[in-house]
Amino acid sequence: MELISLKSIYKIYNVGGEEVRALDGVDLSINNNEYLSIMGPSGSGKSTMMNMIGCLDSPSSGLYEFEGEKVHIMDDSQLASIRNRKIGFVFQTFNLLPKASALHNVEIPLVYANIKKEKRLEMASNALISVGLEDRMHHRPNELSGGQRQRVAIARALVNEPSIILADEPTGNLDSKSGHEIMKIFDELHRSGNTIILVTHEDDIAKYSNRIVRLLDGKVVSDEPVKK
Amino acid sequence: MFSLFFENLKISLIAVFANKIKSLLTALGIIIGVFSVTLMGTLISGLDRSFESSMSWLGKDILYVSRYEWFSDMEWWEVKNRPRMRSEYVNQIKNLSKYALAVSPVMQRGASLSFDDKETRTEIFGTNEEYMETISTDIQQGRFFSQSEDRNGSRVTVIGDGIKEAFFGFEEPIGKYIKIDNVKFRVIGVLEKQGKFLGLFSVDNQAILPLGAYKRIFSKRGWMRLSVKIPEDKIEEGLDEISGVMRQIRGLKPSQKNDFAINQTKAFESQYNKLKLAIGGTGYFITLLSLIVGGIGIMNIMFVTVKERTREIGVRKAIGATNGMILGQFLMEAVTICFFAGIAGLGFAYAVSLVINQFFPSTLPLALSVFSIFISMFVGVLSGFIPAYKASKLDPIDSLRYE
Repeated sequence: MELISLKSIYKIYNVGGEEVRALDGVDLSINNNEYLSIMGPSGSGKSTMMNMIGCLDSPSSGLYEFEGEKVHIMDDSQLASIRNRKIGFVFQTFNLLPKASALHNVEIPLVYANIKKEKRLEMASNALISVGLEDRMHHRPNELSGGQRQRVAIARALVNEPSIILADEPTGNLDSKSGHEIMKIFDELHRSGNTIILVTHEDDIAKYSNRIVRLLDGKVVSDEPVKK
Repeated sequence: MFSLFFENLKISLIAVFANKIKSLLTALGIIIGVFSVTLMGTLISGLDRSFESSMSWLGKDILYVSRYEWFSDMEWWEVKNRPRMRSEYVNQIKNLSKYALAVSPVMQRGASLSFDDKETRTEIFGTNEEYMETISTDIQQGRFFSQSEDRNGSRVTVIGDGIKEAFFGFEEPIGKYIKIDNVKFRVIGVLEKQGKFLGLFSVDNQAILPLGAYKRIFSKRGWMRLSVKIPEDKIEEGLDEISGVMRQIRGLKPSQKNDFAINQTKAFESQYNKLKLAIGGTGYFITLLSLIVGGIGIMNIMFVTVKERTREIGVRKAIGATNGMILGQFLMEAVTICFFAGIAGLGFAYAVSLVINQFFPSTLPLALSVFSIFISMFVGVLSGFIPAYKASKLDPIDSLRYE
């Protein structure tokens, strides 16, 4: 089943009178329960692509449909709503709120989804249990290791039961051991039916996925399955 | 919506209490503003109360006829040249006026009172038997003197509660003889306790004598005023009529100005209202100024906060906060600071009002307290809005990249 459909997406910036094509006519289709990596050197349009898929950015032109919803015509609050309901973000730098406990960090997307307190706590605890942090729920980010912080971030991404999990260099700030542990979690999530999109420039990490899309100068230059 | 409200409240509380010193300094203007407005309200309420009770002592339905106006800028020699009041006027006014319910002449001087070995200096009053109708105080013990006692020049006196306390304590004062400037007077009554007039001097230390005896013993020609009681709903008409009657008594031609003055408590009221306006005006000015300064301080600190937490704003937007939710969060933070500032200002004002209360009775008005809290929260909304709006419009991608 098709989840995401991008059709001739352009993102054009005007930098000092010069036209910069961050995305230059991208077509991409992502199905349910795919495990996809987006790769490319810096400046290839990788980040713009991620922002586009993550509904943080709107295309200059082109059609973007997410489960049949037309993202390219949405306004700010509709974009916020679709991010809240359908997308779980995992960032390279974790981006947890430093003054909030792990549990509260995971709870925040549910606050924005207007879910009641008891239900929120239950869902947030379950998400933390599923990433193996049942004994770290009330710790603050600065009391957790890098790997644990990223697991909190994954729990936060999962908690709303999103359609896709969008991870931007999720192991970039971790040592290789913690990195592989995080990748194992993604594997499990994929196996249990989630759709995962990784953005990375590391081949090692991309190998965990089943399909690699390579970008260069804003264009898709290759799109092929991973041989295992 | 409720969960979002509480979430925002929680964020705000954490932010406010995480930086206590910063929050305190930020809120100082608001604290001072609320402090000054509520303290001013306390002062005015105290003044009001003491003024009201003092005014009821004077009586709203009494006209005071004498040589001088209470509050006037007339030259003293002009007043001095006016003819004195005379006790004959009492009957003349009674005959000519249809509004006068009671007319009482009052002469007054200082005198020394003694009983046994106790002695005190106080004011004595000479008046007639209708005096009690022109004051709002009652007799607590004994009786007032009669018309015949006045005419006979009987040496009887009605004393204030203060004199009774000082001379007799718990003993029976009625029938005892006290000395007024070494002349013996028999105590026939005691006035009820009245307290202080305008919080300034006690009116309980006085002795009232029949005018006949007063004139014979102390002075025939002293300063005198007439108290004229008129019906409460006919003050204006009474004033006109008494003025006409006095002109007639004095034989003034239409071209001549009044050579007497008719005073009433209204004169005190307008004087008092001027004072109140001055206190209130100063208070509101200080309040307004400190609220403006405080508001600018809050706005400034909120801009800094938004800048510091740009990345947090990006994260929140990425996980689904709408612009409105971000706006609400920062607005709530500004309002929270101002709310606590208001409470703090109110707390200080309350503490100071307890001290003031030691000197004259006053209370912190509840309505004004609630109002001042709302005002400070309103300042929070005003000064928090622009920074919060700026936060809400931040681009999530740029914010997530912000270092």
